[in-house]
Amino acid sequence: MKTCLIVDDSRVVRKVAARIVRDLKFDVLEAGDGAEAMRQCRQQMPDAILLDWNMPVMNGLDFLRALRREEEGKHPLVVFCSIENDAEHINEALSSGADEFIMKPFDADILESKFAEVGLV
Amino acid sequence: MQEEVFNELAELALKGSGQAIPKSKSYLIEARLAAIARREGFGTMADLVHCLKSRANPVFAAEVAAALVSKDTWFFRDRDALKRVVEEILPKRLKASNTGRLKVWCAGGATGQEAYSLAILLEDELPASLRGAQIDILSTDICKVATEKARVARFGHYEVQKGLSIHRLVKHFTRLETGQWEASEALRSRISFRQHNLLERADGLGNFDVILCRNVLSGMARSARTKVIDSVAKQMMPGGMILLGGGESVIGLTDKLEPARHFRGGWVAAGTANAEASAA
Repeated sequence: MKTCLIVDDSRVVRKVAARIVRDLKFDVLEAGDGAEAMRQCRQQMPDAILLDWNMPVMNGLDFLRALRREEEGKHPLVVFCSIENDAEHINEALSSGADEFIMKPFDADILESKFAEVGLV
Repeated sequence: MQEEVFNELAELALKGSGQAIPKSKSYLIEARLAAIARREGFGTMADLVHCLKSRANPVFAAEVAAALVSKDTWFFRDRDALKRVVEEILPKRLKASNTGRLKVWCAGGATGQEAYSLAILLEDELPASLRGAQIDILSTDICKVATEKARVARFGHYEVQKGLSIHRLVKHFTRLETGQWEASEALRSRISFRQHNLLERADGLGNFDVILCRNVLSGMARSARTKVIDSVAKQMMPGGMILLGGGESVIGLTDKLEPARHFRGGWVAAGTANAEASAA
């Protein structure tokens, strides 16, 4: 079974996203910020990462840039998930290594559609 | 919903748009008519029916019937079929064309996502064999509001996230201050939009190389399906193709069409499938 790491400082968002992602047949891992996510990735690199932008300690963009510099960090498909949904922020996320981008708020249909776009489902 | 209210509205849907709405789906009526009821100040569906019955207003009745038709659509719904239209069917039609001009009709196109998806493919993945061709797309829908929304080309947060990759979103759409996303002029210029009821004659729309009539027939009563498919088939150019949605068929509805040999869901003029197969 594929694994998906959900990185968001909101426990509620993680809980909702985890339920949707489990329905898509993923094992779910969770992290509350970028630094915690990086520690988890170094232990076990997930197949997919659903990544929030604004988080304490290390934000999503800094995490993504750091992840892509890691040897194994080029493999996970990263779906950014943010309320920062103007073209400038989206392009910044894509140029930093995101594969897809979900504009919050989202629902199960959107998440599944975006995972399908990158071949995760 | 009271049975007599449901019966009146279901009858209106059947006569006005060919839709067959079963009693088990009466909730669809309330959902689809909510905006009209709110606008007109009707507290209940019974009030709306009372208004329809008490004064003859064919324009309002047609609006209600159109509102009862499903507008369920999203970008790149069945993207494989759309890709094959661009990569296989249109190039083949171009070879047979004397004019270098191809015409595609999205019949029952709702708010336009199918037509815009096709336009995006023509922008992003135009095969070499189609270079220089003029490809016109017409999208029609029974509903005036849906047709106008499609023409304005502004889509909401949820609409642009269903079926559309983020790369295509930022490439082909601009985010407005309202939070909506507006399709580019390049896409809009490829498509024209018209309000059209598929139960009515379609002669005025012209003839087409490819007609996408996907997920339209499945919600209709059998008598309406026959009428619609015969009307749509008349607008198909010789050698053209009609594409239905997955699971839709016209077998038993018309003898004017037969399944295309090499395109699942494709229908060609009866007696021509073998010729189409040998030309493939």
